[in-house]
Parts: sequence; C-alpha cells; structure tokens
Amino acid sequence: MRRKRGFSMERKKALWGWIFVIPSLLFFSAFSFYPIINAFYESFFNRNLLSLRPPRFVGWSNYTYLFNSRDFWLSVQNTAIFTVGTFIPLVVFSLILAVFIMSISRFRRFFQLAFYAPAVLSSVVAALIWLLIFDPRGLANQGMNALLGTTGVNYNWLSDTFMLRLSTIVVYFWKYIGYFTVLFVSGIGAIPHTLTEAALIDGANRWQLFWRITFPLLKPTTLLVSVMTMIQCLKTFSTQYLFTSAGAPTRPLNVITLSIYNTAIKDYRIGRATAMSILLFLVMFAFTWLQLRVSRTEEVTFM
Amino acid sequence: MKRTFVLLLIALSLIFSSIVSAQTIELTYWTHTDDNRSEIENRYIEEFQKLYPNVTIKRVVNEAAKMGDLVLTAFSAQNAPDLFNLPIEQEYGYMIHGRVAPVNYEAAGYANAEELVANYLPGTFDPVTMDGEIYGLPLELTNWAIYINDRVFRDAGLDPDVDYPKTWEEMIEVSEKLVIREGDIIVRRGFDFRYPYYLVAMLPMVEQLGGALLSEDGRTAIVNDDAWLQVLNWFQEFGPHGRNLGSPTYTSARKIWDYDNDDMAMCLSGFYQQGRLRIDNPEFFESGEWRVIPFPVFKNAVQDVACAYYGHYLMVNAQASQEKQYWAWKFISYMLDHPWEYLETVNIIQPRNDLLEDPRFMELPYMDVFMNDMERGHIVFLHENGYQFERFIKEAVESVMLENMDTREALDILREKIQEVLDDEY
Amino acid sequence: MHLNKTRSWYLEKAGTAFVWLFLIVACALVLIPLVFMFTASAMPARDILRLPYPWIPKGIHWPNFIKGLMGPEDDWIFFRNAFNSLVVAGSVSLFTVLLSSMTGYGLAKFKFRGRTLVFMLIMATMMIPFEAIMIPLYMVAMRMGLQDTYAGLILPFLANAFGVFLMRQFLITFPDEILDAARIDGAGEIRIFTNIVLPSSGPSVATLAILAFRSQWDSLLWPLLVVQSDEMKTIPLYITRYMAETHSDEGIMMAVAVLASIPMITLFLTLSKYFVSKDGLTSATKG
Repeated sequence: MRRKRGFSMERKKALWGWIFVIPSLLFFSAFSFYPIINAFYESFFNRNLLSLRPPRFVGWSNYTYLFNSRDFWLSVQNTAIFTVGTFIPLVVFSLILAVFIMSISRFRRFFQLAFYAPAVLSSVVAALIWLLIFDPRGLANQGMNALLGTTGVNYNWLSDTFMLRLSTIVVYFWKYIGYFTVLFVSGIGAIPHTLTEAALIDGANRWQLFWRITFPLLKPTTLLVSVMTMIQCLKTFSTQYLFTSAGAPTRPLNVITLSIYNTAIKDYRIGRATAMSILLFLVMFAFTWLQLRVSRTEEVTFM
Repeated sequence: MKRTFVLLLIALSLIFSSIVSAQTIELTYWTHTDDNRSEIENRYIEEFQKLYPNVTIKRVVNEAAKMGDLVLTAFSAQNAPDLFNLPIEQEYGYMIHGRVAPVNYEAAGYANAEELVANYLPGTFDPVTMDGEIYGLPLELTNWAIYINDRVFRDAGLDPDVDYPKTWEEMIEVSEKLVIREGDIIVRRGFDFRYPYYLVAMLPMVEQLGGALLSEDGRTAIVNDDAWLQVLNWFQEFGPHGRNLGSPTYTSARKIWDYDNDDMAMCLSGFYQQGRLRIDNPEFFESGEWRVIPFPVFKNAVQDVACAYYGHYLMVNAQASQEKQYWAWKFISYMLDHPWEYLETVNIIQPRNDLLEDPRFMELPYMDVFMNDMERGHIVFLHENGYQFERFIKEAVESVMLENMDTREALDILREKIQEVLDDEY
Repeated sequence: MHLNKTRSWYLEKAGTAFVWLFLIVACALVLIPLVFMFTASAMPARDILRLPYPWIPKGIHWPNFIKGLMGPEDDWIFFRNAFNSLVVAGSVSLFTVLLSSMTGYGLAKFKFRGRTLVFMLIMATMMIPFEAIMIPLYMVAMRMGLQDTYAGLILPFLANAFGVFLMRQFLITFPDEILDAARIDGAGEIRIFTNIVLPSSGPSVATLAILAFRSQWDSLLWPLLVVQSDEMKTIPLYITRYMAETHSDEGIMMAVAVLASIPMITLFLTLSKYFVSKDGLTSATKG
C-alpha cells in the first residue's frame, strides 16, 4: 500500500517535471533542434542555394574538402587567434577589476556602471564608433602618436594584419569587460563575510586574502565566465562582419562564422557551410566538456 | 503621456496592418533603397492599383549592400518576392539556375522579342538573353567616370583644364601633387577608388593591357600575367606601402567628394552622383567648380577600355503563378514607361531609344563624357561565380596594397583560387 | 614591531593608491569611445576626422540630430523603430525568463527519465553558431507565416539554452525542504513555482532578463531576414540603413548612434541596480 503510494508520488513528480520542461522543449524543437538536425543532414549533400536541382549526396566529401582547404585552416587560425587573444585578457582583467572594485570603499557602484556602460550599446553602434576611431585620421592614431611621442605615424589599425586582428579584439574586449567584471563582483559579493573577516583577523594581507580565500571561492564564477567567454568568442561574428563590410580586408578577419556566412550566402555552397558549422560545433563541445571536466574535480560548495 | 504615445503607436500599427485587406492578386516587389526613386515608384504603384483594382503591390526596400544576401536567402527558402531588381552580375546566377521567368512580351506591351529589343539601345539585352529568351527589363544602365573638384586642383597649382589625368601613370603623378599628408596620414587625397567593385573598375584596367580574368572557353583563370602584374604593381605603388596616395581603409571617396571639404580631389562615380551632389551640397553643385573626365588608360595600353557598365534589371520569380508573372511584367512595364522622370528625379538612365534620342538628353551636364565612355566600355564581367571571383581579386589587391605582398605571389594565389572554383564540380 | 607596522601601513597605502590609479585609468580608457560618440554627434562632419580631434564641440550642430531623427526618407520612422526594438527585446526578455525558469526548475527539482538527455540536448544548442542554422530557421519561420511580424522577431529566441543552464544551476541549490513543506501544506505545483520559486530567484532572473534584452537589442542578422517593411524594422536595421554609404556623413552617423543608444542608456541608468549586481552592492554597503 505505502509502496504503491510512493511509486505514484514519484510518477506524479516525474509528470510535473515534464510539464515544466515541455513548453520550452516545443520551442527548442522548432527553432533549435530541427534547424540543427537539418544542418547536419545538409552537410552530407552538395546543394547550390540557388539551384532547383535536388541536392546530391556526397558522403564525407564536404568534410574532406575542408580539411584540404587552405582558406578553411586560415579561418580556423583566425578564430583561434581571436579566441585566445580575447578570452584570456577578458577573464584576467575582469577578475582584477572586480577584485580592485571590491577592495575600495567608495565609488564601487560608479566604477561598475562605468565599465558596464559599453555593453549597453549595440554592436552596430560599437562598430560605427570604432571604425571612426580606427580611421587613419582618428583617435587611435592620435592617441598612439601622443603616447609614443611620434608624429604622423599611421598605425594601420584597419589594414595591417596584426593591427586589424588587434582592433577587433579591442572592440570585443571593450564591449564585454564590464559585463564579466560585474559577474565577478557578484561572485565576490557572495563570499561569506565571516570567511574574509576570519582571515583578516588571522593577520592575512590583501595578497594572501586573494589567493587563499577569494580566488579559490571564485572557482564556480570563473568557470562560468570562462565557458561563456570562450563559446562567445568562438562564435564571434558581428564585429568581423561589420568591419569587413565597411572595407577592412577580409583575410585576417575571416573567422569561421564569417566564412560559414560567405560560403553559404555569397558562394551558394550550403553543404560546405553546414559542414563547417558542424566542425565548429564539435570543437566548442569538446572545449566546454573539457572545462567542465577539469573543474569538476575541485568543485567548491559554499553557496 | 508615455502611455498615450504607446497606445498611439499600437493604433498606428493596427491601421497599417488593416490596410492590407484580401485581394485577388498581391505582388511583392523588392528593391534597393533610393529615396527619390521610392517617391516616384510609390506613386506609380498607386496609379497602377487604381487602373487595375484587382492588383495590390507591396514594395519592400533594403539597402543595396544587403539586397543580394536577402534575395538569395528568400529564394533558397522558397519565399522569394514576385519581382525584384539586383545588379546584373548578381542576377546572372538566378538566370542560370532557372529562378527567374522570361519576359511576357504581351503583358509588357510588346508584340514580340524583336519589338522589345528594337526599342532599346543595341546590346541592352545581351546580358539577360539565354536560349533566345529575354529575362529582364533594365531599370538602369550605369557607368562610372572621374569627377574632379576644380578648386582642389587650383589649390595645388594645377589647371583642371589641362592637367587632369589622362593615363594611369599620370593619375599617380597628379595625385602626388594633390595629396596632403600629416606624417604618413593622408589628410587630402588626390584620387581614390570605390574599392569593393573590382569587376567594374579594376578588370577594365587589366583589359587595357590585354589581360583577362578567364580564357575564351572559360576554363582557365588569369590570361596574360604581365597585364595583371602591371595593374597589381600600379595598385601597390598607389597604396600605403608605395607612394601612399590612398587605400581602402579611408572613408569612401565619392561620399566625401560631395562635401567639398578640401579632402578629396577626384572620385569615381556614375551620372547619378550629380543628383546626390545637388542634395548634399547645392552650393557646390551650382558653383560649376567641378567637372567629369573620361576613365584613364595605361600609357602602354593595347586596347582602349573604359570602366565597365553595369545594370539593374527588373526580374520576375519563375516560381510565381502564371497570373502573377503576367501582372508583374505589366507593372514593370508601367513603371519603366516614365524614363524622363527616372532620369530627372533619380538620375538613372534607362537605355531606351525614346530617352536617348531626346534632344534634351545629350544636353545634360557631362552626359557626353558618360555616353562616350559607355561606347569605350562593355558590360561588367558576368559569371555564375562572379561575386566569388570579385572577392578573390579584392583579397589579392588588399594583400598587395596593405600587406605589401609580392605581386607575383598575390597573382599566383588569385589564379589558384579562381581555378579551383572553375574546376569545382560542386 | 612598530617599524613593521608603519611599513605595512605604507604598503597598504601604496596598494590603495595603485588600485585607485588603475581603476581610474581603466575607467577613462573605457569611457573615451563613449565621450567621442557624444562629442562627435554634436559636430559638423568636417570637424570629426580632423587632426587633432577638437574634443569640445562649438555648440551643438543640430542638423545632425534632426536628420538622424527624420530618417533617410524624412518620415520620422525612428520612433516606430525604437518602439519595435523595445517591444521585441522586452517580450523576449519576459518570456525567456518565464520559460527558462520553468525548464530550469523542472530539470533541477524533478526526477524523470530522460532528464539528463534533455539537459544535454538543450546545452548542445548553445554551441551551434546562428549563421549555421540561419537558413533552416528562416524556412521554419516563413512556413509559420512569421514574416514581417513581431512574432517572427520574438518566437525563435524564447528557447534560450544559457537561460535554462543559469536557472538550473541556481535552482539546484534551492532547499528541497521548503518545497516539501509547501506541498504538505497542500500547495499545487504551479502555485509553488509562481509563489515560492520564482520570487526567490531574483538575482538570476534579473541577470537573465537583462542578458536576453541586451542580445535582442543587438540583434542584426535575423531582423534583416524577417523584416520587410520599414515599419517593422528595429534600431540596428535603422542604423544600417544609414550606414549605406550614400546617406550621411560622420556627424549624422554619430547622432544616429547617440539616438539609438538613448533608450538603452535611459533603461540602464534607471535599472542600474539590476545591471550591477545586488550581491556586490549589498556587500558594498557593509564595507
């Protein structure tokens, strides 16, 4: 009798679980799962987007084509450079800024707001502003010349390969630094005060406090921030898209997503474009899994 | 206050949506943004709907730069507009893949193809003719020549009547005299290109020297390496690693030319630039302190080729019902029957005989220069993968100009890439 | 001993000075582009790309703003476009929060077969770039008749994997005792969710709402495909209409940038206590 009741309780709970999950599953099915499965399916076919001919099944040949394509590897390289160049400084600097903000006693709110401000602007506006700043006659050259004591040097922010990559990194960094700083600030804010106070009573200085208490306890936040930034960086599109459509050279900025877009929409080769997306998906999946795996071993539970 | 505003907007949107009521034929027409053209075409739509109350036409505009992507996505998703226009180099693929329908001569008001062709400048329909059928009616045919600001010329001690550049070699010399720099940073440019349009402006330069993008049979990429190398070298010399006269990263030349701010002496543009100038800077437009000169040639050119001309053709979706196609052609022909208004309000030229033979036509400022150059030139390079090729050329020029890549190396990469697309049996 | 104390006191002071200096410099660097946007929007185009940049505008060059507001076709469509952006971003934000917290709650607090699979599937959607599914997604939306409608701009973004992830992570730590106590008191599952779970997920809900709002405010590619009429365009599309090279000079562009940012900046300043996390600030008041 009791067992039966318990059993039905469990079934009832399972039923409620589904009730809570199903509405969004419907949305996911229509707008995520179906398009993704469709993309996976298309990656085994050659289909010209304009053509009315039925797609031709080609097995793995879209994938083998990519592995032998110089342009594909260049876009992999571009994505890797952008991701590493953005992801590490973003995580490091947002952590430093958050710790610094939490260590001062006044203007905390002001600094958080100030750093967050760029995140409020849309990417299009950000690109507009920075394209003017990076113009040869713009503020970037003026600033660099003032800083380095040179006159009239053109640092080629929008033309030199290295500088162009740096420029996109700067824009992205500028846009997201505040957001991650605020995430870290709330992470630090969530550390119980008893812990920090106890450490201070024990005579720890700020440096020790950070490395012994704050940093270890920030692990979950750091993990969240780094997984998020990494996925976002690998998926970066709008900055590169807007820069190249404004006239910047494509080669140094041709990240995978931009390449996917151009291969599909400009070259009509949808099969190749979807194959590229599946590869990008696998890479992102692997990295995320790795990060979660590595961090799980020393999970901190204080919340 | 805020609330009433919101309510007002909601009410407005309801009105907008209720206007579109059930009708027998509803045509969707996609075209690129052009404010003056919107004005007259919206009026034509109204008139047409009054004439034929069973037809409603929805006109959708998007910026020219995005149109290609949008139309393609719509076609691939089987959600394409009934009629649309794009630059001919983009439309070519739609013809090849059977996505657009041949002209319905009867609906367009012609007895047959011959009568249609006879009404237009010879050769107008060559780019849109396939297997004896014609697939589009031209909205405009445009070529570019070089606009000069006389004041800047005189300011640099040059006489615009004599010292204007006739050859590409002179173009570099004249630009050098016109340019003002602060260190390496250019404050005033002599001349600069419209960079993304390499098929229109750069390929003719190669052709002047006897080169071509593809061999006659279309199977081999890059004909006459020396011609290509000379042009690439010219760009390298023009760019920041050479004489530092201009580069793709500066503000678009023809945009700032209008403002007469002493920062741009020459730019490349079509007849329509005059219409823009009249709006942007009426004082400069009236001053007569500007002129238009022909497209230069190289000193050692083997043939005289001017800037290629390109066109926008109105086309009709082949998947639309027969009835819709009929009305679409009827509407297109109705719109295009106002060539003078298109010319006067929008500054675009329909290559129709009734327009070109009008005595007022050749009297328009510098029309002779444009028409002359049109005879010296030919239609822009057309190929199913034309856009891809243009992107590869862009990469080649950029690596030569901006990264100082060896021109030979850049040409080899270009050849390899185009050849790969040609050989690709995707 | 005494000496030590003063030394650490100096170190402490020097450390504080460094922290302040660092923050002020970083802050200035972050704000310069914004200052540039505002000052340039008030200048005629010829002043903006001048060497050196003048920084202080000589009065406000009103034509920039007037042209920016009137729009390329002089029809004041800016207001309608801004309204669209607010409607789209607002509804996406609201419904995303509702759906994500429901799903997160279902995944965190109920055991059912396939739960892990559902969670993994949802997480996987985070890793596919939008450009890859753009065309199939567009086909789905068109088949549903969503072209040129608010629904077309809103529906595809309600299923938000990150939102589900965030809410699940948060709710997993939610004490089961409270839920069980409520059940014993006879509260229904929906009541428990709306009256107990949702109110106590404040910070996560705020984070998610803001994130969803911001990303919709930013969205460019999708509206470009779905929207056809000028009346349905959103702010980013309004700006790209201006970016088409023929329409405007730098002054107008910057004025449009300022105008386009005003609704978001206003929202940001009024809701700033949600933007900058509550946790950080509460501890701030404690010192």
